[in-house]
Amino acid sequence: MTNPQHIGGIRGFFARLGGIDRRWIFLAMGLSIAIPILLKLRFPEYPGPMARATFAAVEKVPEGSTVLLSFDYDPASAAELQPMASALVHHCASRKLKIVFMALWPLGKQQADRTIDTVLKPFHPEYREGIDYAQLGFQAGNEGVIKVMATNLPKQYPNDADGKAIGDIPLLKDAKDLGAFKLVASISAGYPGAKEWVQYGNGAMPEAFEVVSGSTGVQVGQLLPYYPRQMEGLLVAVKGAAEYEMLVEAKYPAADPEVIGQGRVRMGPQLVAHLLMIALIVLGNIAMIAGRPRGGAR
Amino acid sequence: MNDSMMNSTDEKPATRRRSSFLWFSLALLGISLCVLRVAVASQDGAAASAEAARTLWQSIGIWVAAFMTLGIFSFLYKDNPFYKVCESVLIGVSAAYWMVSAFWSTLVPQLFAKLSPTLVKSYAMPSLTPSETPGLDFALALVPLALGGMLLWRLAPKGQWISVWPIAMVIGVTAGLRLISAVESDFLAQISATMRPLIVLETTTDAAGVATRSFDFWGTVGGFVGVIGVLSVLSYFLFSIEHKGVVGKSARLGIWFLMITFGGAFGLTVMGRITLLAQRFEFLFKDWLGIG
Repeated sequence: MTNPQHIGGIRGFFARLGGIDRRWIFLAMGLSIAIPILLKLRFPEYPGPMARATFAAVEKVPEGSTVLLSFDYDPASAAELQPMASALVHHCASRKLKIVFMALWPLGKQQADRTIDTVLKPFHPEYREGIDYAQLGFQAGNEGVIKVMATNLPKQYPNDADGKAIGDIPLLKDAKDLGAFKLVASISAGYPGAKEWVQYGNGAMPEAFEVVSGSTGVQVGQLLPYYPRQMEGLLVAVKGAAEYEMLVEAKYPAADPEVIGQGRVRMGPQLVAHLLMIALIVLGNIAMIAGRPRGGAR
Repeated sequence: MNDSMMNSTDEKPATRRRSSFLWFSLALLGISLCVLRVAVASQDGAAASAEAARTLWQSIGIWVAAFMTLGIFSFLYKDNPFYKVCESVLIGVSAAYWMVSAFWSTLVPQLFAKLSPTLVKSYAMPSLTPSETPGLDFALALVPLALGGMLLWRLAPKGQWISVWPIAMVIGVTAGLRLISAVESDFLAQISATMRPLIVLETTTDAAGVATRSFDFWGTVGGFVGVIGVLSVLSYFLFSIEHKGVVGKSARLGIWFLMITFGGAFGLTVMGRITLLAQRFEFLFKDWLGIG
């Protein structure tokens, strides 16, 4: 390859661009994310079919029915998944659905607690613990937990997260198995998560309840084949969260749009960072072509 | 030889200068952020009241988290001891958390509570519900206890083969558990989901309740793309037939479908990583510096 220092003109400029210190790219990427956050840049979102299907699945559940929300993630994935978890809880509570929280990940219980504290209690103070919602917490066993719940829920969860016997909780005293729920929503960051809910929950009782999921961008490739036959709705990463927030916010405005709007806030930096990335890919290709010797071997 | 020696002696002061510049920049950045933090807190009423609402421990936690975040970011400039400390703390805390979590969520309720329910109820789990069949539970709990002991035998100087048996059991049970669900959910149901009409007709109902059927162009395109994609990708994995002629062309098309799929998956991964970075910036600006 020709030494870029020996090429003049615009071609030389682009050729030298190929050797730029990568730390300038890190800095540009940092600024492309920091500036939209500081300027609170927001762009309109147009809900796609998967977000609309998720919204419709929750809308379809009869008022007063019980839904199961499984928090299958931890703080490492909260940036992507917490916005959809908050919107989902607000949506369910706005529709007066009874909510049962659980977790297949050890730290999922803390994420559910956080959602209860930041969404359910401030926006829906009429919700009473044990009557309108219950927190079952985390149980070890991965897909084994789902498998036992499908046949004997009290055996897997004899107590709620506070140690109260399940038979003493009005919301759950008659719950025998997963058939007690009209909808299961898994906010999932990996294994165990939404895939296992389809395989072991929906697979065991396909007619009993619908499954919807919110997933990280990394995992969503594994879940797409299940949509729409085995999974009624699917929220794809923070983009799906932003689209779902739009739908929920349009019908059920929240008291604090900052809480049910985190997904849209994070889509601003997404757009700018993606534009930067596209520009860098184009520039990188121009630099590579400019650095080639004219008429020489390729 | 002399040239290389001279180059190496020239490089040392340059390396030292770069290292000094790095530390000076990091220190300057840290001081600037702290000054900005204090300035914002003293001038911005909302930030000041938010700060006042925090407990001392919450404030300490936010400061530690902020410095840890900056420590991890510092690797983008250059590997440095600050980054190494933050990385080691993260790994250590994660490992410790998982160990404690596994002890309290698995060993205590699933093993110790069955071996000695009275003791566990008194000292560890006051909410433990008494079992209706304590004798049977005790006998069954001896099985995982024995298997766990056998697994740890791997650390003994002799008889490591004993640990192979519990591993074999874990593999066997996992395979058995997953086999049925894989056949049902990932095989039969997926084949069924692939069999859909090629020509898609959309049914719409007007206000008078009259249903009309219309041709769904994009649905039909999606149907054709799905069938062609499945068949071409499957043909790529037909290794018992030489990829020539029709099979070769189909396999080549299959590679295109696979590449587009991988590209989409990579794009989604990038989107996830940008979100993580955005959330860290939100934390630094909003929770730590009180701006934005």
